Amino acid sequence: MTTRISPVAWLAAPAGLFFVLFFLLPFGVMALFSALDGNPLQRPNVTFTGRNYARILDDSLYVESLLSTLKIGAVTTLVALLLGYPLAHWLARMRSRAGHALLLMAVIAPMLTGIVVRTFAWITILSDKGVVNATLVGLGLASAPLPLMYNELGTVIALVHIYVPFMVLTLAGVIGRIDERLEEAAMSLGASPIRAFLEVTLPLSLPGILAGSLLVFALAISAYVTPYLMGGQQVLTLPMLIYQQVAATFNLAFAGALGVVLLVVSIVLVIAYNHVLGSMARREDLA
Amino acid sequence: MARGTLGRRVYLAANGAILFFLLAPLAVVAVFALNPTPFIQFPPVGVTTRWFQKFFASPEFMNSLWLSLQVAGAVVVLATFIGAAAALALARGRLPGSRVLTALFLAPLMLPAILTGLALFQVFQLLGLGRPTWALVIGHTLVAVPYVMRTTLAVLSDFDRRIEEAAAILGASPGRIFFEVTLPIIRPGVIAGGIFAFIVSFDQFPISLFLVTPNRETLPVVLFNYMKFDLDGAIAAASMVSILLALAVVVLIDRLVGLRATMRI
Amino acid sequence: MSTRISRRAALGALTAATALGAFGRPHVARAQAPTLKITTWGGKWGEVMKGEVLPAFEKEFKCKVEVDQAFPYLPKLQASAKNTPIYDVLHANSNEQWRAAVDGLVVEKITQKEVPNIKDVYPYAVSDKIAGVTIFTSAIGLGYRTDKGLTPPKSWKDLADPKLAGQRGGYQIPVNSLGQSHLMLLGQLYGKGMTDLDAAYKALEQLKPIKLVDFTGQMEKMLLQAEVVMGVIHDSGVYRYDGQNQPIEFAAPAEGVLSLEQVLNVTPGSKVKELAYGYIDYMLRPDVQKKLAEAVWYSPANKDVKLDAKYDAKLYNTPEKVAQLIQVDWKWYNERKDEVDARVARILRG
Repeated sequence: MTTRISPVAWLAAPAGLFFVLFFLLPFGVMALFSALDGNPLQRPNVTFTGRNYARILDDSLYVESLLSTLKIGAVTTLVALLLGYPLAHWLARMRSRAGHALLLMAVIAPMLTGIVVRTFAWITILSDKGVVNATLVGLGLASAPLPLMYNELGTVIALVHIYVPFMVLTLAGVIGRIDERLEEAAMSLGASPIRAFLEVTLPLSLPGILAGSLLVFALAISAYVTPYLMGGQQVLTLPMLIYQQVAATFNLAFAGALGVVLLVVSIVLVIAYNHVLGSMARREDLA
Repeated sequence: MARGTLGRRVYLAANGAILFFLLAPLAVVAVFALNPTPFIQFPPVGVTTRWFQKFFASPEFMNSLWLSLQVAGAVVVLATFIGAAAALALARGRLPGSRVLTALFLAPLMLPAILTGLALFQVFQLLGLGRPTWALVIGHTLVAVPYVMRTTLAVLSDFDRRIEEAAAILGASPGRIFFEVTLPIIRPGVIAGGIFAFIVSFDQFPISLFLVTPNRETLPVVLFNYMKFDLDGAIAAASMVSILLALAVVVLIDRLVGLRATMRI
Repeated sequence: MSTRISRRAALGALTAATALGAFGRPHVARAQAPTLKITTWGGKWGEVMKGEVLPAFEKEFKCKVEVDQAFPYLPKLQASAKNTPIYDVLHANSNEQWRAAVDGLVVEKITQKEVPNIKDVYPYAVSDKIAGVTIFTSAIGLGYRTDKGLTPPKSWKDLADPKLAGQRGGYQIPVNSLGQSHLMLLGQLYGKGMTDLDAAYKALEQLKPIKLVDFTGQMEKMLLQAEVVMGVIHDSGVYRYDGQNQPIEFAAPAEGVLSLEQVLNVTPGSKVKELAYGYIDYMLRPDVQKKLAEAVWYSPANKDVKLDAKYDAKLYNTPEKVAQLIQVDWKWYNERKDEVDARVARILRG
């Protein structure tokens, strides 16, 4: 059985070239610099050193922040999935054209707010004197403002808000292509709407769930602007540390080392996740 | 369509709540853009157009808005070609390890953008290339291509090949099949990816910080710099204008191509 | 078909060529003008710079100025080659200039020889705590709400008042130099001096719970929204709301105010060093200093600046007032920044 590479494979050449030139090469240079004791553009004699990597292993702060990053990424992905799926389902099954257009615009609009402005909006909503607390305290439902900000909760809320539209748009495409007649057939055979959903629609949308959650996870673990502005000092993710090293401590080589670690760990996780959910999706293929 | 009305009500209520969650911050931004006070205040104390006026009257904001649109346009074209081609190759090319490759192409999104920007800047400096505008386009394209790839792959993944086989049986050449059967079917996926690419480029900020040149800065960079010094309603006005502009683009695409098509085959 | 050129066509071509030549000549002359690459802040400062100060400088010195406004600047300078630096003049706060100086990215000392107007500045502007030349400074003190029944703070220690728990504001120390200065000051207030980090850490613990922000603009907003009722802030951040009737005020504590300097420095690899020094000299001229000081409420470094009455009353422009400014040792701090950041992260994480 020959599975010869088809000539169509050559279509990947532009992407591959682009990737090698503008991602692998710069990243490779950055990784190289992270193993040198100085910038070769600035100093003529530089030598290799593993001190940046040794430092990451030595101080538990970095491992802790990596774990914090992964945890926040996973929680964000899960919540975005839980919120995104119903909305995607609604969007995909919407019959009215106007309704569809309106809902689509409502989903896309938050994506264009701009990361900084939208974070400030969340600060206005979640801070001690913000909308939520002012309402709760004003109505007497709470005796003191709830700590919704400057902690992991606030960060996750703001991150979920950014990524739900990505999840919705990815899922809606897949759900939209599921033939509704399959559900109807299940229900005409006696299944309740919920059962039809769980046993027909949901499994068929697994590829979308996989794609959407992979995308959101990748984005969430590289986020630093939002955790920065929302988490105060309570949240310290690896991207935030990287940002600090670049823009405040000005240690580019160390930042590069942290970036290498983050990327390697993320890629491994993503490949594993892809593999597991991918084989689950394949098993669900209908003829 | 025999859904219990209770189930239907819960479904609609849940979706309504989620929608409210999505749009609440937008309402706050709108208030910030219209409220006379120079800081976000809820509930608002009045309505003013001075922030919008400030935004539109500033040549810096306007030039950067225009540049952002131009860059985003270029990025859409570039990313769509590269991404769609790559998706076809991954889905049809029978490449070994295509599963791993697909995950690897997601890598630019996993690296904090500040490092991506720094790495690109460093390489361009090493090669003595300075900071040309095409570098900015490339930086944005790098983080836009994964989206186009994903949406195109999604359409390709449950593409019924029998349509193509039927066309072949009827005598069409492979080239004709590609242009008259395959492309139109994957077009919705490509367009959806293009919309993503536009949004991603227009809103992209950390990479731009490193690759913009004096007097040729994108809108997010100008906003950020402005905000570090003068945190007032003008940034909210800029935000609202961006949203309205991009929504206009989306509506235009809907008229031309029909966005419903992007949601189904 | 004849290829004879008609008279009209020839005349037209000649006119066009002359016109193009007219456009071309100034363009060619301009292309030979030297270019000065600088950095500058945005907001009101950037408006005045790009609107008035820089065009006048370009005209007088017959050059072109390229302004990078995309913060952060030092990483870009670090990533560029030493003999083709991406900037000729770096405008930064003192902590960043020191970091750049230690890395050899800026010259460590500038004297009257290169910048004549140095003869007219206050001593703090070119003290040994400065790498480069200070053109302006602000005073870091305590900002507070006037409508919450607080007694105006008289000492830095008033920030630690238990009644203010959860309602006081500070900065994220790893990324903000006001936060870093304040930390060192805590060592002096509660311990043996600015290098007594142990005392500083203890004092920081006592300040919890405290709301931390990244940059001063956010602190201004927190005060305006009454999210905090007292916070560490520089005078400019409070005074810029002058005339807007906002219930916030600035207090200069009795122990002194920390200085937040705006420092200019030149890169050693610059190809237009003369022009760069000329620019620094220009920024120290009394008329330029007055214009910028009054636009953003900064205290000018030049002794001979005559500010309008309302600015004169509040800013630090007499030898007596200037004596209250406390300058910190950034070289020392930068050397241990990473340890401090890690330690502070642990303290404030809860």
